[in-house]
Order: sequence, then C-alpha cells, then structure tokens
Amino acid sequence: MTDTSERYQRQLPLIGETGQERLSTSRVLIAGAGGLGTTIATFLTVAGIGFIRIVDEDTIERNNLNRQILYREPDRGERKAEIARQRLVEINPEIEVQALCTHIDDQSIGGMVRGMDIIMDGMDNFSTRYVLNRAALRQKIPFIHGAVNGFYGQVTSIIPGKSPCLRCIVPHPPSADKVPIIGVTCGVIGSIQVTEAIKYLTGRGDILTGRLLLWDGFRGDAAIINVVNEPDCSECTGEWAGERG
Amino acid sequence: MKISIRVFASLRDFMVPSLELNLLPGATVGALLVELCRMYPPLDTAIFQSPGTVREFVNILKNGRNIHFLDGLVTALQEGDVIAIFPPVGGG
Repeated sequence: MTDTSERYQRQLPLIGETGQERLSTSRVLIAGAGGLGTTIATFLTVAGIGFIRIVDEDTIERNNLNRQILYREPDRGERKAEIARQRLVEINPEIEVQALCTHIDDQSIGGMVRGMDIIMDGMDNFSTRYVLNRAALRQKIPFIHGAVNGFYGQVTSIIPGKSPCLRCIVPHPPSADKVPIIGVTCGVIGSIQVTEAIKYLTGRGDILTGRLLLWDGFRGDAAIINVVNEPDCSECTGEWAGERG
Repeated sequence: MKISIRVFASLRDFMVPSLELNLLPGATVGALLVELCRMYPPLDTAIFQSPGTVREFVNILKNGRNIHFLDGLVTALQEGDVIAIFPPVGGG
C-alpha cells in the first residue's frame, strides 16, 4: 500500500479510487479564512483536494480564536491566509496550498476563480458573497454558500444554469453588523459545505441544489426548504444595478 | 383555505417553528403576517420595520419563491401554499 492510499484508506470505500483521484486533481477556491474558511480548509485538506487557493486580507486577532481552528495564540498579528497555508500543508503535505492575502472584489475575483473547479463561501458579509455569486455565474463554477449567526446556519449549493443563484434566494442582504459566532456552528456549516464539495467533485450523492438547508443548533433541528430560480433575478442575468441594504 | 407556515432562526424565539392557519379565500401574504403577529405579538417588530413594511432582510418564500419577485405583501395565497420565513444569517 502506498503512503497516499494508506492516508485515504478509510474513505476509499466511500468514494473509490476514481473519486480519490478526482479529489486529488481538483482545484478549490476558499474565499475567507475565518470560522467557516478554516473549517472548510481543514476538511478539504484531509480529504485530499489537490490544490487549494485560500484568500483573506485580514490578520489574526485574539478574538478569532474561539472559532478559527487553524490559528494559535502566537499567530496573533500574522496574515490569516499564510498561516492557514502553513498549517494545511503540515496536515497534508501531499496537497498544494496557495495563500492570497488580498481583498476580494469585482475586479480581483476574476483571476482568483479562473481555473477553479469549485468556490467555497467562507465570507463574513453578503456584499462579498454577491461578488462570489456573480463570478460563479460568469465563469460557470459551482459556488457552495454557507453562513452562520450564533447557533444558526445555512447552506446551499449554487450550480450555474441549474439552480437558483444566491440573489434569487436572498435578494436583500442581512445587516453587515458583526454577529455572535460560536465555533461549533462554523464547524457544522463548514463541514456540510465540504460534504457538498466532495459529493459534487466525485459525482456521488444528492447535492443541495435548489434547496436551502437551515441549521438550528439551538434546537437541534435541520430543515430544508426548496428554492427556485427566479426569472426576474437581475443577478442571474447580470443586470443587477448595485448593492442594496 | 389551509396555509402552512414554517419559520426559522431567531424568529423561532417568538413563535412555534411551524403551524397551519386557515385563512379566508383571497388572503394575501400581508394578511397572513398580520394574523401571525396578532397570535404572537413579539413577532411584529422582528418582521415589520413599520406598519405595512417588512424589514428588507426578512425573506418570505411562497412555495420556494421569494415574494420580492412576486407581488410582495399583496402576493395572493392559495390552498396548500407553504410559506417559509427566515432572516438569512450572514456571518462566517
């Protein structure tokens, strides 16, 4: 048994050699290296995704440490994306990780997503999520949306041309104010997002297209509501005039 | 006519997670919300910014379609409709 097949031995019965090969040749963009982003990055890394590009312009603060699981006390003041890269290749030296310590906007996003197989939402605001949504639609790349607030979270998988886009589901963003966040909710939602990515990349299972999963950790309840593509959604047709709210 | 209602996230602090209501034929989403707020008064400020104006970020889906893309509060209801109400979460 090679070192590689030994590393993935326990998941090969689930996805097969072919599925593992697909993961190892996949390229994934993680937008944001916060609570969701570090959970997403960790599980993509241990699953064996071949190339990860992780983007975040922020530096590590002490109040990040309740949920941003790749960082340690001595990392305070360091750039999140770079520290995340270092930790991820320690966890799995067989993958390649690229860190981009830069801002995500409509100008910068095009180059970031080009050549990627999937975009993972690890952002903490909807204005940047809409940037990711637009880029996903433009370049026809799946976009796995996740968000959290306290013990609540939501996930949906946006497949351009097949599912409603983020703006179809959430036409107006919630307030950009800082919200309470606890690490376990980031863990739950980030893990579901990676589950979605693995299923999409290996062609197995049913993904959350046209379905919004709403997690209520406070009550131990998960619900799914069906959502549909909106013919009048300006985002899908690229006619959205500007951010509102 | 019977309408199913499901609410999510912080709205569950103010009312039960799901219920069915019998409304008169021709009722609208707005009438449904008024009835819910009558039953659960603390819901009013969570949903409405001012009388007749829903907070912009509160999503109301009728059978999976956001009423933003339908007729807003005057969207007509039909027997068996499922209304989902959720304030989307935005952190990460």
